[in-house]
Amino acid sequence: MAIHSREARHGASAKSALRPPALRLEGVRKSYGHVLAVAGVDLTVQEGEFFTLLGPSGSGKTTLLRLIAGFERPDAGTIELAGRDVTSTPPHLRQTNTVFQDYALFPHMTVADNIGYGLRIKGIPKAEREERVQTALSMVRLAGLDKRKPNQLSGGQRQRVALARAVVNEPEVLLLDEPLGALDLKLRQEMQLELKRIQQKVGITFVYVTHDQEEALTMSDRMAVMADGKIEQIGPPVEVYERPATEFVAGFIGISNVLERNGIRFVVRPEKLHMLEEGQEPRSGMTVESGIVEQVVYVGMSTRYIVRLDRGEQLVAVRQNMDAPGQALRYEGRRVRLAWVPGHTYVLDHQRARGESALSEHDTEER
Amino acid sequence: MAVEAAGRPRKKSGAASLQSWLWRRRWLSSALLLTPPLGWFLLIYIASLALLLVTAFWQINFFTTQIEQVWNLDNFRTIVSDPTYRIIIGRTVALAAVVTITDAVIAFPFAYYMARVASRRIQTLLFAAVLLPLWASYIARIYSWILILNHSGVLNWSLQSLNLPPADIGYTNVAMWIVFSYIWLPFMIIPTYAAMERLPESLMEAAADLGARRWRAVRDVVLPLALPGVVAGSIFTFSLTLGDYITPILVGGESSGWRSLGLGTGSTFIGNVVYSNVGIANNVPFAAALTMIPVAIMTLYLLGAKRLGAFEAL
Amino acid sequence: MKTTAVGSGDWFRLSTAAAAAVIALTACGSTTPTGSTAAPPPTANMTPLTTIGPGEGQLNLIAWEGYTDTSWVKPFTAATGCKVNAHYAGSSAEMVTLMANGGSGQYDMVSASGDADLRLIYGGDVRPMNPNLIPNFVNFQDYFKAPAYNTINGIHYGISLQWGPNVLLYSTKKFPIAPTSWGVLYDPANSGLITVPDNPIQIADAALYLMSTKKSLGITDPYELTQPQFDATIALLKQQKPLIKKYWDLAGTEIQLFTSGEVTVGAAWPYQTNTLQAARVAVADTIPTEGATGWGDTWMLATNAPHPNCAYLWTKWVSTPQVQAEQALFFGETPVNKLACAAMEKLQPHSCAQYHADALGSYFNSIKFWKTPIATCDDGSKNCIDYSQWQSAWTTVTAG
Repeated sequence: MAIHSREARHGASAKSALRPPALRLEGVRKSYGHVLAVAGVDLTVQEGEFFTLLGPSGSGKTTLLRLIAGFERPDAGTIELAGRDVTSTPPHLRQTNTVFQDYALFPHMTVADNIGYGLRIKGIPKAEREERVQTALSMVRLAGLDKRKPNQLSGGQRQRVALARAVVNEPEVLLLDEPLGALDLKLRQEMQLELKRIQQKVGITFVYVTHDQEEALTMSDRMAVMADGKIEQIGPPVEVYERPATEFVAGFIGISNVLERNGIRFVVRPEKLHMLEEGQEPRSGMTVESGIVEQVVYVGMSTRYIVRLDRGEQLVAVRQNMDAPGQALRYEGRRVRLAWVPGHTYVLDHQRARGESALSEHDTEER
Repeated sequence: MAVEAAGRPRKKSGAASLQSWLWRRRWLSSALLLTPPLGWFLLIYIASLALLLVTAFWQINFFTTQIEQVWNLDNFRTIVSDPTYRIIIGRTVALAAVVTITDAVIAFPFAYYMARVASRRIQTLLFAAVLLPLWASYIARIYSWILILNHSGVLNWSLQSLNLPPADIGYTNVAMWIVFSYIWLPFMIIPTYAAMERLPESLMEAAADLGARRWRAVRDVVLPLALPGVVAGSIFTFSLTLGDYITPILVGGESSGWRSLGLGTGSTFIGNVVYSNVGIANNVPFAAALTMIPVAIMTLYLLGAKRLGAFEAL
Repeated sequence: MKTTAVGSGDWFRLSTAAAAAVIALTACGSTTPTGSTAAPPPTANMTPLTTIGPGEGQLNLIAWEGYTDTSWVKPFTAATGCKVNAHYAGSSAEMVTLMANGGSGQYDMVSASGDADLRLIYGGDVRPMNPNLIPNFVNFQDYFKAPAYNTINGIHYGISLQWGPNVLLYSTKKFPIAPTSWGVLYDPANSGLITVPDNPIQIADAALYLMSTKKSLGITDPYELTQPQFDATIALLKQQKPLIKKYWDLAGTEIQLFTSGEVTVGAAWPYQTNTLQAARVAVADTIPTEGATGWGDTWMLATNAPHPNCAYLWTKWVSTPQVQAEQALFFGETPVNKLACAAMEKLQPHSCAQYHADALGSYFNSIKFWKTPIATCDDGSKNCIDYSQWQSAWTTVTAG
């Protein structure tokens, strides 16, 4: 067995005090001309973790990944892989492998040659190489396609080859740059599970870049939300979703309803809102506010209700579509009351509004 | 009012109805569009080539020097049986091959540097440097090489100042090799560059990511993927050398020894024989037959190039 | 034949000129394939002008580039009112093409080279001219009054203009004393230092050499060779081949070769000598004892010339000693007008002798003026080797 099934570890809890973290970034900065792409990032990823860098385009997440891979050199800071400082190590000497967004499969090589390329460079004997390639192929469920050329494969198959090509080298850290971005929704959801399965099987540390919050929530052990080259929040998906540290995180992940009552800004997630019809009474201890349904958006599995509160703010509430189809639409224009449990809201750190801090970073950078 | 309503559409639609009539027969409009260029192509290219082929099977009356439309294979028989023509064809093809290989070897690292290493600014400068010579007269550029290579030229002068023996490669096949390689080099660099430029950076990164040093990545990834570009360039360098007759006239010579590059003494090319047969002896059928040789060689070459994907690289 | 400039034109002309002649000579032969006498040219019965009328105001010429230099065109136009419109041709073939259909009613005259002449004459493109209307005609070297290439059965199809020999060019450093024989071109002592023109007509030069050095072959005319004579000549050229540095196609190439010291001896035109000497290259030329080959140009009148009076006025003008001298020195060729000698001396001392403009009639016996080899020998027998065989033999010699 070429790919050793290490004990899969989940989350930061599994960290061993004796072993250095798989990846450690300290004060990493990178700018292109006047544009600050990565503005001082500190980060630790434990061995075996599925770690996601989530952020909108331009947030610096891909640059950060490229810095880890060695395709770019940081202006400042250090990058450690398994306790070794690799800040100045060229990519071909780093114990990382990358799954590229465009897969970057070598079009002139067969699937097997693509997968075996890294092993060939390392001088692995042919017999062992072939065995490991076959193992990797069956791991990504492409057994039998080894003689194909990349252009004879579907998008999903190419994606799997790219993954196999990286994984077969058993890197310290596997870097994935939006690997599912080019796939259609259904395939993407399939591959999300597939990736997670493979990661758990091989136990390799994954650093996964995506702009898709659902993907991040689905797959990650921990995730970092990035904006403007900085990390806004790091934590397990539940924590990031349920207790966003900043308004940006709240807004970027899921639909966020931000309210301010008595000088306190807080988030209440749409699925936590109960929409009460006339005559319905809230459970005790719930906060209740009334408003008018301005718009009803049917999204298949559920329906979104955009409600204008009497106090002026707009909230989104979500309901499972358990009623007969079309029933939801009759709510449009109706007066409703929204109720929630105060414990399900999360108070925002209002002193650290994201936009302001980022702006001040830019200003200092330019001066 | 009623009259106007009825009359207007008909009156107005002279052009409009023609358009919709054509629209319903789209093949016709595309035929109309394609006829002039296609007709031109057929007339100029195919017809002349066909005529050439036909002429090759005629002969001239040596007494009247008039073309006689008598079908025979004498011209081809002469070409095959007379060792002189075998030598000439061999020399032409061999030099075209040597020049092509030389240009490929020079163009590859140059194009690589241009496409994948140099900054935008340097890239532009190099582009200008590659293309600029094409603006100068071909003859003038050959002459400048004569001035470099001849007996009292820059090369021998430089060797002399280094106390080295003179090279004396002016008017030899070595001189032809150098001059051909020089004048056709841009035609090799540009397609090679284009093929390399087209390679996504991620392929190189992927190779490095998988542990390949730069040269290894170039060998494993850039070389095979840029090969169609090199082959495309070789179509130019090979065919241009194959068809040339000016350079042999200007820089060729009768030397033997290594300066003849093993191509026999003399520098006569297929083109020179064709030229003298057309221009001097008026033996157009023989010239046509001889022309069929490079045509046939290039046909085979292009078929080979197609297999290597050169046309996708163009 | 002469050279106008260092360029492809020279070489182009040199080669194509010969081709034109083949066609011309053999075309006439084709009407009587078994006989040696040709049918008279189509225009033989056209009566030439007997007086020159007033100029028509225009004159359309096909000429070698520079044959209508402003230095003699301007005074001509001023004197006659004939405005000269010149179309420069790059080769004899082009001239013949342009002159088709008697100049197609567009062109008046062509400055044809001796090898194109017969083609023009037998093609009916040019018409007889009256030399009595050219006052300087009487001052011409006798040979050029009626050379075989422009005069048939006593009818003049043009008025001779200039001529030139093919000379032996040598480095005076290598040869302090002028070589007296073409033998230097066949001498292994000069291996790698020799250049000769890349032209099948060069076979005639070898034949000319054999004519006097190997009398047993019985060569009487270097353009009329029987098979054994031809074989011997080719054998000589094949011996010469390894001694050759380069077969030159362009006058400029030969100039380069001598300038850089690549070669020390070669066959050339006076043009090369003059250019090299002007550039202070230590060279000189000579006509060896065996004699030399040569060429001659003629102004010919188009059959359908629209401005015949201006044409005659022009011919009159270019035949005058002064214009003859100017043109000769301009191009490195020799006037046909004997009186041009004095004018040449005035323009450039010693040039008259240098160009053999003062040559005695016997001199022209040593010049074998170009004509194109045909199968029919002068004696009417058909044992001679025709030009196409010269062509292929030359390829075998130079390319092998």
